[in-house]
Amino acid sequence: MKIEIDRRPLWLLLLLKGIRPLSFLGIAFVFWYLLSIPTPEGLTLAGRNAIAIFLVCLFLWVSNLIPLAVTSILAIIMVPLFGVLTERETFALFGNEAVFFILGAFILAGAVMHSGLSKRIALSIMGRFGDSSRGLVRAIFLLAAILSFFMSEHAVAAMLFPIVLEIAKGLKLRPGRSNYGKLLFISLAWGCIIGGVATFLGGARVPLAVGILKETGGETIGFIEYTVAVFPVVIIMLVVGYNVLVRLFPVDIPEMADTGGLLSRRLQELGKVSYNEYAVGTIMFVTVLAWVFLGGRLGLAIIALTSVVVLFIFRLVRWKDIEEYVNWGIILMYGGAIILGTALDKSGAAAWMADQTIGAWARTPWVVIALLSLTALVLTEGISNVAVIAILMPVGIGMASKFGIDPVIITFSIAVPAGLAFCLPMSTPANAISVSSNYVGVKDMAKAGIFMGITAWIAFNIVARVYWPIIGLGF
Amino acid sequence: MKNIILILSVSGTSDEALEFAIKKAKEESAKLTALYVLDTGLTDEVFDRFTDIGFIGDKPSTQLTEAIIKEYRQRGYEELGKVQIRVMEEGLEFNPMMVNGNFLECVLNAIKKQEADMVIAVRRKRSAFKRYFSQSVVDDLKEKAPCEVVMFEVE
Repeated sequence: MKIEIDRRPLWLLLLLKGIRPLSFLGIAFVFWYLLSIPTPEGLTLAGRNAIAIFLVCLFLWVSNLIPLAVTSILAIIMVPLFGVLTERETFALFGNEAVFFILGAFILAGAVMHSGLSKRIALSIMGRFGDSSRGLVRAIFLLAAILSFFMSEHAVAAMLFPIVLEIAKGLKLRPGRSNYGKLLFISLAWGCIIGGVATFLGGARVPLAVGILKETGGETIGFIEYTVAVFPVVIIMLVVGYNVLVRLFPVDIPEMADTGGLLSRRLQELGKVSYNEYAVGTIMFVTVLAWVFLGGRLGLAIIALTSVVVLFIFRLVRWKDIEEYVNWGIILMYGGAIILGTALDKSGAAAWMADQTIGAWARTPWVVIALLSLTALVLTEGISNVAVIAILMPVGIGMASKFGIDPVIITFSIAVPAGLAFCLPMSTPANAISVSSNYVGVKDMAKAGIFMGITAWIAFNIVARVYWPIIGLGF
Repeated sequence: MKNIILILSVSGTSDEALEFAIKKAKEESAKLTALYVLDTGLTDEVFDRFTDIGFIGDKPSTQLTEAIIKEYRQRGYEELGKVQIRVMEEGLEFNPMMVNGNFLECVLNAIKKQEADMVIAVRRKRSAFKRYFSQSVVDDLKEKAPCEVVMFEVE
């Protein structure tokens, strides 16, 4: 028997084995150190403590040593414990409209998926428009984007993945080798990502950012106001994204193997449109209309939760079904992030951090917006986009007052780029599932994603500079 | 009779490894087992990402995992089929196996069960930096396997 000896140094082997406990010890030590140093000038004691808590959460969110929601629980514990906010103030922040809007939107999306309506729409559109090799790529790309306007981009990716996988198999594409396979799966991921930033419903990060904005500055952003401001970015990204994909991964299959048969078979399996599908579709449609036209008057959360109640009145879903579609950790994650953001703002720590970081050398609002959007884009490639919002929003709000920028613009500058993670599977679940298909490699995704990331930053800043002043968002 | 195990998995297969396994089996008059491991670690990773970062509920995550596992299983059958054809051409005794679970545990179990004399594994090429700071699962296998482990690298 051949024995292989690990010749790496002993210190390295011990370090690799003990990295997790050492990390927690390191966090505890840094936290203790931050609490023991004299409070810097211009910062209150509560502010110093808030920054120490913020840094602990920042490290945990970035490193994923514990689940994101559990890091939020830690923030909830530490904020009152170290005197940043009172216990009463802390828990009251869970009553934020954003938390309940997110909850309502996720339940509605769960109902749409459970009824089978979303799958039927997906199969119908792919079957109708996917009659050529490029047509199929366009259909998947746009379908993923459009569905992500109305439900979480992650849910859309999960729902469409098995269908795209079947298409790839039907076309006998070779995993990792076929350009067309890469095209299909990156189209799916990018469609979800780009579509996900178009409305409040594509992910929970925009409602979270708006929630922090409301708690810290008292301002808010309406459902339609957000979409109107962001839509040009979405259109540019869709056009650029499609062209980048078909150029980087030229179609390498003959025109066109039969996917229509496969898709229509799947559609037939679903049977006739059911009462549940009609009813859930109608409720979703009315809800979106209400968000657009009545959102400002009634509140987005009230509308979302009313629709949820209506779903149950008409017995369109059972509570058990909803439990299976909604991850309740989201409430903790978002509640915790809002608490931390508010703690930083109310203690003056956010303004102090803004002064010490970008605020120390940025000279114009334009530079601030460009830097914040760049930071959000870079961070979101490495960590969850929700964590990016939780980290950058308090600092951004602090900068808004220093530079006289409307906090609403700051919110856009963080919330939109935070959703545009194109490069890595670790950035967002849509990328992760594309890579898990083995049709796309990490290198393929990174190669195309870097170009898209740069394009996203340029497109966002051009839209902010040229288009936003026209709709009253000048800076 | 000697036993040789050729490991196949979703992370990569190599014609070079297959030809080496056939050559060795011929030389040693050994039985060749092709072991396809459906590594649940890969799907668990995606599942974790969905529940932790995507905040998607159990049902969509489970459906997604099932779709991935189904795909991997089909690929496994295809790979085993290809190997079987090649091995039959050489007139060797052949035993196809497909197992579901943790890669390392599955391979070690198979070695024990088959009383294997040699294991041939494939791993992806990694940068020197990565090699220095982390071991691949095939490195772990080399350490823990009670028999000779021959390794092939693929891009």
